Amino acid sequence: MQFIDMNLRRKHTVNEYRRPWKNRFECFASILMIAMAVGCSKPQTTEEAAAPPVKKIPAGAQFSGFLKDYSALKPNPAVEGEMLTYVSADAKKNLRSYFAIVVDPIEVYVATDADEKQVNDDRRKALTNYFQHALANAVSDAFPMVEKPGPLTLRLRAAVVGVDVGGQNGALNIGKVGVEMELVDSETGERIAAAVDRASLGAGAEVGAVNLSRDEKAAAAREAFDEWASRLRAFLDSAHELKGEDMEKADKSYKPY
Amino acid sequence: MRKLLVFMGALALCCGSSVAAEDKNKKDDKISTFYAYVDSDVCARLMLGPITQGRIDCSKKAYKQGSNIVIVRLDDNVVFSVNKVKLVKEYLGGIGKVTGEAKTKSGEMKLESFMPEQLSDVPADSPAQKLLDVRNFKAKSTDGLFEKIRHELAMMAYITTFDFISFTMVGDDVILTGWTVRDTNRDDAFHRVKRIEGVKNVVNNIEILPLGNQDMQIRASARGALEQQLGRYFWSNGSDIKIIVKNGNIILLGVVATKEDSDIATIKCNSVSMAFNVINLLRVEPPPAKNKG
Repeated sequence: MQFIDMNLRRKHTVNEYRRPWKNRFECFASILMIAMAVGCSKPQTTEEAAAPPVKKIPAGAQFSGFLKDYSALKPNPAVEGEMLTYVSADAKKNLRSYFAIVVDPIEVYVATDADEKQVNDDRRKALTNYFQHALANAVSDAFPMVEKPGPLTLRLRAAVVGVDVGGQNGALNIGKVGVEMELVDSETGERIAAAVDRASLGAGAEVGAVNLSRDEKAAAAREAFDEWASRLRAFLDSAHELKGEDMEKADKSYKPY
Repeated sequence: MRKLLVFMGALALCCGSSVAAEDKNKKDDKISTFYAYVDSDVCARLMLGPITQGRIDCSKKAYKQGSNIVIVRLDDNVVFSVNKVKLVKEYLGGIGKVTGEAKTKSGEMKLESFMPEQLSDVPADSPAQKLLDVRNFKAKSTDGLFEKIRHELAMMAYITTFDFISFTMVGDDVILTGWTVRDTNRDDAFHRVKRIEGVKNVVNNIEILPLGNQDMQIRASARGALEQQLGRYFWSNGSDIKIIVKNGNIILLGVVATKEDSDIATIKCNSVSMAFNVINLLRVEPPPAKNKG
C-alpha cells in the first residue's frame, strides 16, 4: 500500500514537474505567435482608429453642411459628370502653394429619412476605409502623403453624403450617395479648394460586409468610390494645368543648366 | 502540442521562403565593374556637361559647400549614391573603375572596390568615352530638338518652386537630372521626353526628395524669407528661383537679374533656422534691354 502510494506520489510529482515546462513552452509559443502576428499586420493609422460619428443631412437642405460654404462652388467642365468645384485664387495661398497631403477619416451623412442609429459600425468602417484609401491612391503620386499636418501640406476632408440603411440585412445603400470634399491648409484650416459631386455613381450598390474587398456584391460600391476618387484627381490635374499668362511665364523662366 | 509544433514549423518555413525570395531578388542586382566619375551630388544632378575642368571645379566646390559624394557611370550617365563614401572621397573630381552592386532603379550602389584611373586610360572604343568627349554634347541654342525638350519640360503641370528638372543631350540621348518632391514629376518628365521625335534613349537621374518635417519647415521658411525681398521672382504659379531642400541643405537654382539679388538670396537662406548649408547656384542674367523704337 505504501509502495503504491509512493508510485502515485512520484507520478504526481513528475506531472507537476512536466506541466510548468509544457505551460512555459506554450506560453512562449503563444507570445511568439502574437508578436509575429502584430509584427506582420499593417500598423493601424490614427485616421482609421478615430472614426467621426455618423451625421444626418438636415431636412430640406440642398447640401449636407459638411462644407462651411457652398456659395463659391461652380460647375467644372474639365471634370466628367456634374462636379461643382472651387479653387482659391489667392496669389500666395492656392493649390500650387502646397504639395503634400494628409487624408482625414471620411465622414458619413445618412439620408434625411434614414435612422443614423441603425448604421452598423463595421459596415460604416468598411465604407469609409475603402474610400479613404481610394482617395489616397488617386492623389498620392501628385500630392505625397505625410503623416502629420505641417507647412506646405494640405488636409483632405471628405464626406459620403446620403447613405441609406435600407439594404438587405442592414447593408448600407449608396444608391443615392454623393461626395463632398475640401482641401484646407493643414495648419490654419483655410480653404484652398473644394468639390461636390452629386452624381449617383453607386446606383444599385450596397456595402454589406466588413471587408469590402471580399464582398462580391460590393463591386459596384468599390467602382463608385474609385470613380469619385479619380474625379477628384482629374479636378486637381485641371487646377494645376498651365494656362495663358502662366504658361508664358513658365516657358520663359525655364532654363536648364 | 505536436499540432502546435507543426504549425510553428510551417510558419517558419513560410517566413524562410519569403526571406529566400527577397535574397534572390537582391542577387538579381549583380556585381558589376565600370568606369565612373566621382562627383558631388549637386553637379551630378545638374549635369553641367562633359567632364571638363569646369565640371571638376564644380564637383569640388559643391562638396566643400556640403553636397554629398556620388558616382556617375560613364557608360550611360546614371548617378549612384554610394554606401562607402570614404572609399571614393579622395578621388573626387577624378575617374576610376568601380566594382559593386549597382541598383539602377533606386540609384544606389554597394561599393566593393575603387581603382583610380587617368582619363587617358579609358580605351578609345569604350562606351565610357561618351561622357568624356565634348563633341558628343549638343549645343543648347542651336538645336531644334533641344528647344522641343525644353518646352515640354517647362509645361509640366506639377512643377513648383521646390522642384528643378534639367537635362543634357549626348547625341540623341537625353539625360534628365534634378530634384523633385513628387513622384509624378519624375515619371511625367521621362514620358514627355521619351515621346519626342528624334530622342533615342532617356536616362532618368531625377531624384525624389525626402519630405521630412525638418525639410518641409526649411522649404516654407526659405520661400517666405526670399519672397520678402525678392518677391518679383515669385508669382502665383511658379518662380524664377528654385529652392531645393535635401536633408537640411538648401540649393538655390534658377536665374536672377543681378549679383546683388543672388547675394541677398544667400543671406536670406542662411537666416533660415534648421538649415545646415546654402549652396547658391543661381545664374545672373540681366534682362534684355527694351527696344524703344
